Amino acid sequence: MKNVIIILAITVISFTAISFTDGIVTKTNIPGGNNPAFSIPDNVQTIIDNSCYGCHNSDSKSTKGKMKLRFDKMPNMKTGKLVGKLSKIRKTITKGKMPPKKILAEHPEMALTKEEASIMTTWANDVIKELSGE
Amino acid sequence: MKKILYVIIGVLVIIQFIPANLPEVSSDNPNDLLLNNPDIKVDVKLILKTSCYDCHSNETYYPWYSYVAPISFLVSRDTREGREELNFSEWTTYKKSDMAGLLDDISEEVSEGEMPMKIFTIIHRDAVLSDNEKEIVVSWADDFTESLFE
Repeated sequence: MKNVIIILAITVISFTAISFTDGIVTKTNIPGGNNPAFSIPDNVQTIIDNSCYGCHNSDSKSTKGKMKLRFDKMPNMKTGKLVGKLSKIRKTITKGKMPPKKILAEHPEMALTKEEASIMTTWANDVIKELSGE
Repeated sequence: MKKILYVIIGVLVIIQFIPANLPEVSSDNPNDLLLNNPDIKVDVKLILKTSCYDCHSNETYYPWYSYVAPISFLVSRDTREGREELNFSEWTTYKKSDMAGLLDDISEEVSEGEMPMKIFTIIHRDAVLSDNEKEIVVSWADDFTESLFE
């Protein structure tokens, strides 16, 4: 009986440890906001979940990722700030700079396919257009 | 020992003949940010001119040593890259959404102390931003962004 408890404890501890070292959060919790022009369609949401949200959220362990962009804050951004973030998403994805090579070396499954990249940039363009008429 | 010194001097002399291609300077910039936005306050204007415009505009001032290799190579590269990322002299040619993106970059880089670059402020002490000056730039960038979409 004692042995079982010990084994159980070790299992729980090691799983917790693994999830900490991994450091990639995939659960998205993007609340509804007060900017009605901003919405995330399901196909975009899936890509964000798989390739972006792990670093770009308010609880992220990546200081830089958190500083530059937090998807969960986007719905409540002022129009100018929001357009700025979307413009930068468009730019970094077009240039193939995100997700960073360092992350992809460990998580190749997070790489954006050509189609996914185009879904993201089209989305950014659409919301920018909605917000600024550009 | 003397030999090594001669070699170093020799190399320094030879590299002077490699063109550094310093990006051209132009004082006539009809698309300039400050020229087209006379409402930008003087304190912001001064900070941008002193701490940013050397690399982020066509109005680069090249001191004498920036013509001396290998410093000239560094100055050339940093100025070229700086202008490519953000050129205040070409401001009105940017799309409004890209202006917003660049202003967000300014806000981030300045508040994190990433800009102006260390290699620049080591020599240009007047380009160092105090906490108060950082605050002035950041709140200008944020307000200016919103004003673009009002």
